Amino acid sequence: MIKMQGNKKAADKIISVYWFAILFIVAAGIVFMVSSFYGKPYEVREIEVGLLADKGADCVSYAGFLREGVLSQEFKDSFLEICDITFETEDSYGWTDESEYFLQLNFYDFDSYQNTNKNSLFEASAGNQRLQNFCQLKGKGFPVCLERKLYILDKEGKKYVVKINSIVKKIEKNSQ
Amino acid sequence: MIRNRRGNILTENIIFIVLNLVFIAILMLFLFSKAGNAAVLEEKYAKEIALAIDAAEPAMTIHLNMEDAIEEAENLNLNQIVTIENNIINVKLREKGGYSYSFFNDVKVNVNFDGENKEYYFVIEKND
Repeated sequence: MIKMQGNKKAADKIISVYWFAILFIVAAGIVFMVSSFYGKPYEVREIEVGLLADKGADCVSYAGFLREGVLSQEFKDSFLEICDITFETEDSYGWTDESEYFLQLNFYDFDSYQNTNKNSLFEASAGNQRLQNFCQLKGKGFPVCLERKLYILDKEGKKYVVKINSIVKKIEKNSQ
Repeated sequence: MIRNRRGNILTENIIFIVLNLVFIAILMLFLFSKAGNAAVLEEKYAKEIALAIDAAEPAMTIHLNMEDAIEEAENLNLNQIVTIENNIINVKLREKGGYSYSFFNDVKVNVNFDGENKEYYFVIEKND
């Protein structure tokens, strides 16, 4: 009887040691998960790139119609100023050396858009063109790209397809 | 003898339960301290404000409740927590620290603090 009691006490101690070992493992797991979650920056580029494309679309069209003066050399030359866009960024991670954004608007004739050899009637772009090279690549650590199409009419009723390409890099502050 | 053994079992169990509760409390504290961390809040609000401004148009006013951030920034001047210079937002909740993020919308933004509602409001105007 005394021997049995001794065995039970020893077993209880072993259980409590195991219990605290389990608690320690659980704690370590939670600490690791929380640290890795909050240690990473918030990824907002998906939203940002969408807003940039919206801004480009609003700049060339209003209520489905082409804005005046869009298909002109002046618009092409001062695209960002006319659209009230600035690509200046904070001076961190060498972001001021090269633009972290790219925005391109391509205008096509609606009727010939389905043709394989379609030619752009008008093109306006600004920002870092080199970012386009990364759009085919998938995974973390690459710029976020978005391509949108917009159908608009001019005053004479001519139909256009506008292809908007917007890209945001800002990798260091969004993806790690 | 039996009475004494029962007493031991009870004490052991109480200690065991208390230790477990302490353990859970420490974990919860760690979790909440990480979630409400000043650095995390700085980043969250800087990006949130930048995106709100990007989506805004001149003549709009954006109201943002930042009660949790204000509580975190105890010793700082509340007018200095959110600053906007050109198109760069800086949210600073610590003496040494702060987080900046840029927005692409070329507008003029006036930052104001409403002490009554503990919220910031951003008045968007067309840039000159």
